Amino acid sequence: MFQYIIRRILVFIPMLFVLTVIVFALMQAAPGDAFTGKIDPTVDPEVYEKRREALGLNDPIHIQYWNWVKGAVRGDFGDSLIYKGRAVSDLIAERFSNTVNLGVMTLIITIVVSIPIGIYSARHPYTPLDYGATAFGFFGLATPNFFFGLVAIYIFSIKLGWLPAHGTVSKPGIEGFELFFDKIKHLILPSITLGLAGTASYMRYMRSEVLDVLGSDYIRTARAKGMTENTVLYKHTLRNALIPIITLLGFEVGVLLGGAVITESVFQFPGLGTLFITSIGNRDYPVIMAINLMLGFFVLLGNLLADIFYSIVDPRIRYD
Amino acid sequence: MNLKFKRSWLILLSFVLMLGILAACSGGSDNTSTEGEEGDKEQTEAGPQMGGTVYGAMDTAPSGSFNPIFYEEAYEANILDFVFEGLVTQNDSLEFIPNLAKEWEYNEDHSEITFKLEENVKWHDGEPFTAHDVVFTYKAMSDPAYIEAGGVRASEYASRLVGYTEYSEGQTDEFQGVVAEDDHTVTFKFAEPNVIALSDASFPIIPEHIFKDIPVADMPSAPESRQPGKVIGTGPFKFTEMVQGEQYVLEKNADYWQGEPYLDSVVWKVVDQAVILGLLENGEIDFVAEPNGFQPADYEAVEAMANVEIIEQPDFGYQLMGIMHNHRAAGDMTLDPSKWTVNENLKDQRVRQAIAYAIDRQAIIDGLLYGRGIVQNSPIATQFWAYDDQNPPAYEYDPDKANELLDEAGYVDVDGDGFREDPNGEKWGLNLNYPLGNQIRERSAPIIEEFLEEVGINIDLRQPKEAAAYFEDLEKNSQDWDLYLVGWSLSSGDPSPEGLWGSKDFYNYSRWNNPEADKLLAEAVKPPEAFEQEYRKEIYSKWQVEFGEDLPALILYAQNSLWAHNSRMEGIDVLPYRFHNNPHLWYVTE
Repeated sequence: MFQYIIRRILVFIPMLFVLTVIVFALMQAAPGDAFTGKIDPTVDPEVYEKRREALGLNDPIHIQYWNWVKGAVRGDFGDSLIYKGRAVSDLIAERFSNTVNLGVMTLIITIVVSIPIGIYSARHPYTPLDYGATAFGFFGLATPNFFFGLVAIYIFSIKLGWLPAHGTVSKPGIEGFELFFDKIKHLILPSITLGLAGTASYMRYMRSEVLDVLGSDYIRTARAKGMTENTVLYKHTLRNALIPIITLLGFEVGVLLGGAVITESVFQFPGLGTLFITSIGNRDYPVIMAINLMLGFFVLLGNLLADIFYSIVDPRIRYD
Repeated sequence: MNLKFKRSWLILLSFVLMLGILAACSGGSDNTSTEGEEGDKEQTEAGPQMGGTVYGAMDTAPSGSFNPIFYEEAYEANILDFVFEGLVTQNDSLEFIPNLAKEWEYNEDHSEITFKLEENVKWHDGEPFTAHDVVFTYKAMSDPAYIEAGGVRASEYASRLVGYTEYSEGQTDEFQGVVAEDDHTVTFKFAEPNVIALSDASFPIIPEHIFKDIPVADMPSAPESRQPGKVIGTGPFKFTEMVQGEQYVLEKNADYWQGEPYLDSVVWKVVDQAVILGLLENGEIDFVAEPNGFQPADYEAVEAMANVEIIEQPDFGYQLMGIMHNHRAAGDMTLDPSKWTVNENLKDQRVRQAIAYAIDRQAIIDGLLYGRGIVQNSPIATQFWAYDDQNPPAYEYDPDKANELLDEAGYVDVDGDGFREDPNGEKWGLNLNYPLGNQIRERSAPIIEEFLEEVGINIDLRQPKEAAAYFEDLEKNSQDWDLYLVGWSLSSGDPSPEGLWGSKDFYNYSRWNNPEADKLLAEAVKPPEAFEQEYRKEIYSKWQVEFGEDLPALILYAQNSLWAHNSRMEGIDVLPYRFHNNPHLWYVTE
């Protein structure tokens, strides 16, 4: 197992390398650079030319890439071109914790809501509650994030005043438990918004997986042996039904850590998603490269985690 | 059969859910208006009172440079405006008035200006403000490392100082441009007599005692340029706390030299555009102003809020449709008009004027801006003394006149396809290019296309590109462009159109080369006559006529600034270019 993990992690390296080459090439192929979009009649264009020269943006692409790689292997991702005087690692670190909080909260909501409902629906198919859950499923999948987010803000923040509409804390300078609960409060609306589609689809997956497994021969055997329905469900059915869900959750980890652009901007939640998008719009390539590398890493890591969880859920799966 | 029934039942249920939510969205406006009325009653009480906090909203977080010499965005200015001050500022009619400097005088030929500074001004940390801080600020902007470190203000504020070039290129260590005569007297020395000396001297001053040991190259990343508590200015509010990307807290500077501010604090919150108005209505936010205010489409909704007042005034920016006079050759990065080639498609002045007559600009303002904008006939902001609304051609919408001009110029439809051919009977058409990023501008492009096709001009409306790509093309690859959309926002300092419309200006994207106009631009700032405003006004009037007749661009519209604030906020006295004027006089009534 340990060896397997090491091997998998070593495979990350060439994959990430290829990823950076592709992203870098694509970025260079796109027209414009960090300064072409900045046109200010009070600023002499010469100024931007000087900055390009100083930042090496006029160098040939392979030299630029090489310079980037040289820094990156030492953990130095350079300075942002737009956020003046800020190291890329610093910018990302600042937002990463927000994104992790949002991602974790979303994942918790997704799992806690979708799996029990999915199981219930499968055990009691074609009952009113199952229909209700199905309707919710369609609703969740069909409602765009920004719309749900705005409606939620309108109802819960503006009209009822229960939950904050924006940001991650209500004011600077609070600490300890107060800060913790304040943060949770600020996470509720964004994470429900972000988790809505996921919850709906996992619920549907769970329902169909459990229904599938409940109809299989070994469950009939288990029942025939006289096992209680709970043992059948939790010991035999669930473990088997969870395998595909774990694969999906593995992907989800990568996606959630990548930040959720739309949800983040509706709630003005300073996470990685909005940073990523503004950086792309601004051609802030050191930031784009670093976030890309990080995302690539987390997607791979998510997959690896999924594989490891397989072996925990299903003892038949072993890695040597 | 059964299954079908189930499905339709589901769809019905989802519909009911959606409708419920929609109803919840639209149902609320009446109950808040009563809250507002209560607010009005209380308001009658009395004049300024101490205390209270107001909350401002901006739709995008500032990038985080809180050093005047390095900031670039309006979002950062929202904080800097409260914290830093310049020697002079501008009043309602855009004249320069004393601020940190109480008086000034010019030397004989206007190449020097000497300021007497206020004497009881202190920095937020208690150190006295002196002439040496002024010298330091301009010296830092002239530093050889300034531009590479990301500073962009030197060309506008420092470049006319004597010895700027030598000092900024590192040829000398001696900075001569600004000299402290004594602690409270400072002289700006310019290389030539300077018509816009006061504008040059209006830049916010940074503290020497804080920055003197930090090399200019390291200033942008220094905590003194970024972190609350470490950013030190002379202004009425101190920048004390922030949650990066979310909230920025400004607390009052009780020792402010113009008197203690009434408010305890001003807090900026970063809120999505779509949510700002809701929070304004429920009172969580007190004001929304620069840079984006609120959208013209929301005007009625905001007007209907009983607790909110609107401030509407013309902006300093405008949108225009550029008309390519000449093209710069591919790969030519110089600005040498002799190397340009004439744009055959638009070389006839009558054609350009026909285009101007064919577009109903008021209709665009009414339709896209809900009437919240003005038609402007020259590229000088209407608030300036230099704007001439009489003499330049106004190009009222007149399609008949447009047709007439085109006929006269020989552009007639000879093959009967509905579009005009050029005087030689060859196919003729114009392309129209526009960038993404400003929704109203994006929507105006197809409307302009329609107006022009109405008078028989075949328009090729090109795919829009996002800004970075669009401007790269406009600068380098516009060899076949005819018409293009772009917007400029101008500074309020001086009305001179130089920088945008001189033939050798980089931003003269139309590559307009009109020696007469160039001559006028030069005359308008030529000493000693140009020290008389009347003289400049006359020259600019002539220039505006030239611009209007030759049409390097048609100014489409200037969108009004739409700002709003809660009626509990009093003492707001906006300037044509700024909402945050004298915030130490703001107060709240509850």
